[in-house]
Amino acid sequence: MEKFMKKMNGVPSASEVTAHLSFLKEQAIKTVFFFTAFFAVIVVVFILLFLLRDGYVIFEKVGVLTFLSGTAWAPTAVVPLYGIFPLIVGTLLVTIGSMVFAVPLSLGCAIYISELASPRVKQVLKPAVELLAGIPSVVYGFFGLIVLTNFIRVTFDLPTGETWLAASVLLGIMALPTIISVSEDAISSVPREYKEGSLAIGATRWQTISRVLVPAALSGIAAAIILGIGRAIGETMAVLMVAGNAAIIPDPLWNIFSPLRTLTATLGIEMGEVSVGSDHYSALFGVAVVLLIITLIINLSAVAILRRMKEGGPSRQAYKPFLSTSVRDSLKRITEMIVVIALIIFLLAAAPWYLAVAILLAGGAWYFGRNRLSQKHIQTIAFSFVVAAAFIVLAILLIILQDIIINGLPALSWEFLTQPPKDLGRAGGIFPAIIGTLYLVMGAIAIALPLGVGAAIYLVEYTREGRITRLIRTGVDLLNGTPSIVFGLFGFAFIVLYLKIGVSMLAGQITLALMVLPTVIRTTEESLKNIPQSLREGSLALGATKWQTISRVVLPPAVPGIVTGAILSIGRAAGETAPIMFTAVVFSSRFLPDSVFQPVMALPYHLFILATNVPGGSTNKYGTALVLLLLVIGFYAVAIIVRNHFQNTSRG
Amino acid sequence: MSESAIITTKNVNLWYNEKRALESVSMKVPKNKVTALIGPSGCGKSTLLRCFNRLNDLIDHVKITGEITLDDKNIHAPNTDVVMLRKKVGMVFQKPNPFPKSIYENVAYGPRVHGVKDKAELDKIVEQSLRHAAIWDEVKDRLNDSALGLSGGQQQRLCIARTLAVEPEVILMDEPCSALDPIATAKIENLIERLKQDYTVIIVTHNMQQAARVSDYTGFMYLGKLIECGKTVQIFEHPKEELTENYITGRFG
Repeated sequence: MEKFMKKMNGVPSASEVTAHLSFLKEQAIKTVFFFTAFFAVIVVVFILLFLLRDGYVIFEKVGVLTFLSGTAWAPTAVVPLYGIFPLIVGTLLVTIGSMVFAVPLSLGCAIYISELASPRVKQVLKPAVELLAGIPSVVYGFFGLIVLTNFIRVTFDLPTGETWLAASVLLGIMALPTIISVSEDAISSVPREYKEGSLAIGATRWQTISRVLVPAALSGIAAAIILGIGRAIGETMAVLMVAGNAAIIPDPLWNIFSPLRTLTATLGIEMGEVSVGSDHYSALFGVAVVLLIITLIINLSAVAILRRMKEGGPSRQAYKPFLSTSVRDSLKRITEMIVVIALIIFLLAAAPWYLAVAILLAGGAWYFGRNRLSQKHIQTIAFSFVVAAAFIVLAILLIILQDIIINGLPALSWEFLTQPPKDLGRAGGIFPAIIGTLYLVMGAIAIALPLGVGAAIYLVEYTREGRITRLIRTGVDLLNGTPSIVFGLFGFAFIVLYLKIGVSMLAGQITLALMVLPTVIRTTEESLKNIPQSLREGSLALGATKWQTISRVVLPPAVPGIVTGAILSIGRAAGETAPIMFTAVVFSSRFLPDSVFQPVMALPYHLFILATNVPGGSTNKYGTALVLLLLVIGFYAVAIIVRNHFQNTSRG
Repeated sequence: MSESAIITTKNVNLWYNEKRALESVSMKVPKNKVTALIGPSGCGKSTLLRCFNRLNDLIDHVKITGEITLDDKNIHAPNTDVVMLRKKVGMVFQKPNPFPKSIYENVAYGPRVHGVKDKAELDKIVEQSLRHAAIWDEVKDRLNDSALGLSGGQQQRLCIARTLAVEPEVILMDEPCSALDPIATAKIENLIERLKQDYTVIIVTHNMQQAARVSDYTGFMYLGKLIECGKTVQIFEHPKEELTENYITGRFG
């Protein structure tokens, strides 16, 4: 550097000027990339700031403690009450219920995919799980509202099926793909040697799975479950549509047929009707702050577990058992007893007596009979559960798809796709909604792609791992874990009101862009990391500058990966309702918007309103759901094809 | 061979997809002796070894023909219990592969999966196996520590102890010393020498000195074929085949 400066003191030669210019250019490029990367952190800070700014009033007026522990949420009463304790309880109960449903199914399915399935079955099951992940949450909600709640109402003979149970089952289904794919990954990446070592001793396949593979993959499975929990807690639309939304604590607490209301649903329902600046408005932002903090803690802990797993593998040193073996044994026995007792109480209280007896009998038979069963039989029993889990997951997907396809197909017509809606959407078409959704996602990706790719380039190419990258990565993780409804609130408070852009297409595009930014950054980072280091060294060794190396050698082979990430993001954005419902959409508009400053119609929001606010017109509801589903799945399918094509060609 | 054979193969062929990895291998493995399989890389010695406990079953698209018998029973017969077979035929791998559990749990794993529950009995088996594998003195004070904290040589002896704990008849060793330093190697070789009183050992090795040191019988393989098999002394001093002689004297390729 000093040498360089000295030279600059004399009369610079032509080549020195060029060198200096190119040095400046490199610096400028690096700075730009740094800002794109740092953008994620800025956004997180802004989200927190703006939520706090608008929520602060209520904390001051009511007091944080009263706000959190108050047992009545009645913001529109004559004497308004702002206690979110029932909402927190509702969120927790729904989440616990969803995990009771999802964890056994997901683990069974993950074990099946990684250890039992033949390659051909795997080829069917893995895309099926990905498909399950691709269904938009409003479509889940629609299915839950029409089919699931009805099923629950009839089966258990209830006045309404909109209950804790319905919400838990639906959220459980939505959490399945996350838990399955992450834990399947964890089980599959247990070193082969462990498996061979166990089998070579003469352990059965089931013993190998249950005693070696699953324990070795435990931290990954834990992370998978935590991520699933994060997904369940942050979900808005689906849970809003099936939970009944009464802000009460179930009485008794284990009454799974009670309606309840979550934090997210409260925001989804009330945000649209509140007057800006009122105490109620502020209270909703307070709710959002609480929600954000809960999800951030959950997601950060999952990320921390996964990262530690990637870096260190199973910890090499410290397997110092915390307690001595005998203490652990007795602890284990005590927890077993507690679980059994809790189960008995629960069964006696909530379930029909025949179900309770059946479960108790089965449990008892297992407990006393297992010592007499040979390992072969245990394996057969275990494998049949595992296969059943995989089968149920597949069946759930098929039931949802067939319901929507069969009922939606009759609505599909040229008119439906090209005409504006009539009679509140019961008749006519959905053309403006389709176009509106396309506008929204194209705008969102146009904003998110440059920012995301820039950030990924900075993270992979320009820095070593250090404090700044850690900060940026944490920012990206936090953004990724932020519930979509929180993006909606932020978009409303910051873009719509503060920046005075108004409810408009642009506001929706920016909000969606912020939401998909982490996906773009991650997928781009992955594809950049897959470019061998030797290519970079080869280019640099020829005297190419950093930017020349990146733009001519590193980026071109990474393009398919980046494109895949972009399409995945488009698919995700197209299905989202919560971020756009306060920022960008109107329910009905006969015309297409002239500029980005006008609001638009959008498919997910249209479906949401049709399903919850418009009685009748069932064909058009299903038709809308089908079009949305096809659109989103279409994007995902393209992404998968691009990915597979790229994988095949790159392998030669 | 005068001794009674515990494992016999007749015309064993094996294909990975289209690639033929073993070609009509016929051999006898005498009981309570150490048999070494030597030969250049890729000659099929590890593949043959993994036939004896049917670990090749784990790999997709493997086809095996011919007959392999253990105690005069065909191990590919439809009524064979693979789990029992693997209990009788233990295996030590090239890279030490202790489970990510404690030292104690690693050794107790085998007896446990075969139904031993009694704590005192497990303790006894663990101690015996560790003593037998000549590692007891080094680990007796830290049985509850992670096995992954041991050195490579210790890990390998732990894996041998783990194998001994299920009391197999045959122990297969797939280049057990290739990842170890000379001192650790010497310890394992001493151990093998002692093991043959109670067990039949089949060891795959790259190292001809090692084969000469530890084995009673040696089979030389080349390109999937068993070229020659006999007493180690005879193979090393008076090989019948020219290929064997070339390999042993280092005049190869």
